Amino acid sequence: MVELDPILDVDLVGAGGVVVRAREFDSRILAVEPVMGDSALLTLSLPPGMAGSLRAGQFVDVLCRVEGSYDPLLRRPYSIFRADSRTETMQLLVRPYGRGSAWLASRPVDTILDVLGPLGNAFHIHPRSRNLLMVAGGVGAAPLVMLTDHALADGRNVTYLMGAADADALLPTSYLPSDVEYGVATDDGSKGHRGFVTDLVPEYLRWADQVFACGPEPMFRSLRSVSSAHRLGGKPRIQVSVERTMACGLGACLGCVVETKHGMQTSCVQGPIYDMDEVIW
Amino acid sequence: MAAPSLAVDLAPGNPRELVLANPVIAASGCFGYGLEYAGVMDVQRLGAFVSKGITPKPRSGNRMPRITETPAGMLNAIGLQNPGIRGFVKKYPKIWDAWKVPAIVNISAESVEDYAMMARILDELPGVAGIEVNISCPNIAAGGYCFGWDAAMSADVTRAVRAATTLPMMVKLSPGAVDVVSVALAVEDAGADAVSMINTLVGMAIDVRTRRPVLANATGGLSGPAVKPIALRMVYQVAAAVQIPVVGMGGIMGLDDALEFFFAGASAVQVGTAVFAQPGMLIRLIDDLGEWLSSQGVGSVQEIVGAALPAGLPSRRAATEADVEIDFAAAVAAG
Ligand SMILES: Cc1cc2nc3c(=O)[nH]c(=O)nc-3n(C[C@H](O)[C@H](O)[C@H](O)COP(=O)(O)OP(=O)(O)OC[C@H]3O[C@@H](n4cnc5c(N)ncnc54)[C@H](O)[C@@H]3O)c2cc1C
Ligand SMILES: Cc1cc2nc3c(=O)[nH]c(=O)nc-3n(C[C@H](O)[C@H](O)[C@H](O)COP(=O)(O)O)c2cc1C
Ligand code: FES
Repeated sequence: MVELDPILDVDLVGAGGVVVRAREFDSRILAVEPVMGDSALLTLSLPPGMAGSLRAGQFVDVLCRVEGSYDPLLRRPYSIFRADSRTETMQLLVRPYGRGSAWLASRPVDTILDVLGPLGNAFHIHPRSRNLLMVAGGVGAAPLVMLTDHALADGRNVTYLMGAADADALLPTSYLPSDVEYGVATDDGSKGHRGFVTDLVPEYLRWADQVFACGPEPMFRSLRSVSSAHRLGGKPRIQVSVERTMACGLGACLGCVVETKHGMQTSCVQGPIYDMDEVIW
Repeated sequence: MAAPSLAVDLAPGNPRELVLANPVIAASGCFGYGLEYAGVMDVQRLGAFVSKGITPKPRSGNRMPRITETPAGMLNAIGLQNPGIRGFVKKYPKIWDAWKVPAIVNISAESVEDYAMMARILDELPGVAGIEVNISCPNIAAGGYCFGWDAAMSADVTRAVRAATTLPMMVKLSPGAVDVVSVALAVEDAGADAVSMINTLVGMAIDVRTRRPVLANATGGLSGPAVKPIALRMVYQVAAAVQIPVVGMGGIMGLDDALEFFFAGASAVQVGTAVFAQPGMLIRLIDDLGEWLSSQGVGSVQEIVGAALPAGLPSRRAATEADVEIDFAAAVAAG
């Protein structure tokens, strides 16, 4: 791993040594599909050439207000759910939660959004990894779908585990490629295992060469505790996508930092993807 | 008609001058070290930018959460995370030296001596166009009372920095001052080339579910449109009193907000929080300002500065009175 300076700039080094060039662009909502209960899957237009450069784990910052309004003031980050370079589009999965997401999830088709991106680093699949385990909690499903697409295209095996409150809030199988093994857990037991998605993890740890997780912070806590007894010498490695309140998305405000073994890092540029063992939780 | 002039000198009394191509400046703490935004906008077109606050020693900043959104604003308690003056000097000025845009270094310290020490280091450093002295810091020698709340303490810092460097120096006033006008007059008297204002207002937010403050630091600095009326009032009061340029900021989101600050007496403006939401707005603001001046038939942005002040800008007033006297003398001689 490249040792990163705590106040690193995007242009000089960028995430993992790659120069990241974000842009502020207008994006049209091309389609809105209800999914996972009250969430919305938005299909958005991209500037020519951008779709192919997007990497799984990256996110975009969306301005969730109309021109002339100051509320909510700051952009909201959303992970890229899927990108398609043929149609030059990307998809975002938005769960209506507070003001920003409720506004965004209820926009009609043809709305023009002000988007800043792509931002952040990406999940890293080791060249020798054959078996990948995805662990998704709620809308944390988003970046792991894109990662699954990429992994399958490279001929790897993927098991995708997802947890949600109930059956309705799970990502329907139709959104995942057919050759993925899909395991689910629900809080109320309405589908799959009753309990946490992390309860399903231990049985896959010997199979998996790498684990990728995205979800709320409590999910990471239980992931750490259920996996500790089953991981030998820190293997398999676990990468997580962390969530912090963000303002600039560009490494300038230092509002979104994550404390790591390499010092304070900006989760918008040097994250949001971290090796779980390098974060000071 | 020729394109209107947007240029401004923020240190007219200083031979090292601080001439900006336009009066739009990216504010401290909101623009990193300039590099962060270089990929998303043409940083070189700015009038200037101000660096994140630099301190004598490296600081890792406050615990998380450090920011939270509030109605039309945000609270931040970053805790001045920065590499310290020595780490800073090694990294950034040499990059800026090749840039066209003037880079202003914001300095923060907890003792008068530390402010002066940093100013001495910056004095002859290529790539550094000026200093902004952030006096919204606790003075350890005064039991942690904020320098910027007190005119005498603010003047002490200003005097020490002035003695340590001939660089153009802007002193950034705190809105927490008991009497911001007396602080402004004191720092002017102590050698500041300009004042910038306002820094954030101390505020807080409480999470109703946890019943605890949202920010780990409990309190934070409020910025954004929510603070604009207060900032404007303070600029108006200070601009009516001092002779040196006033740089206004606090909640500027676009042209109309910036115009209000110019009319209140600001010779230039800084923009912070708005840049987080829309990085492109800085360049749009410069363009919009030029177009607006043309549409109004105004030849220079400096002509509109202080338009809302009942008696105009004091510096202009003094010039006019002097002109009248000379004219009078000339008339007598001629007669
Ligand atoms: C890198 C990154 C990727 C993200 N990807 C996605 C994504 O793909 N899909 C998605 O729907 N969201 C995603 N988010 C979260 C998203 O950015 C917003 O935070 C979320 O939509 C809530 O914003 P809001 O304006 O609706 O709520 P706000 O009005 O900002 O929040 C209302 C209240 O809820 C609290 N709050 C906000 N979010 C949460 C939360 N998740 N859990 C508990 N409390 C919370 C806030 O502190 C506040 O008090 C991501 C965040 C990050 C940092
Ligand atoms: C995240 C953040 C960090 C800041 N850091 C500094 C700083 O290091 N030094 C300083 O003098 N002002 C700092 N400020 C204050 C701004 O420079 C500015 O005075 C204030 O935000 C008001 O302007 P605005 O409403 O346009 O943001 C910071 C503001 C924000 C929002
Ligand atoms: S959001 Fe500003 S540094 Fe990450």
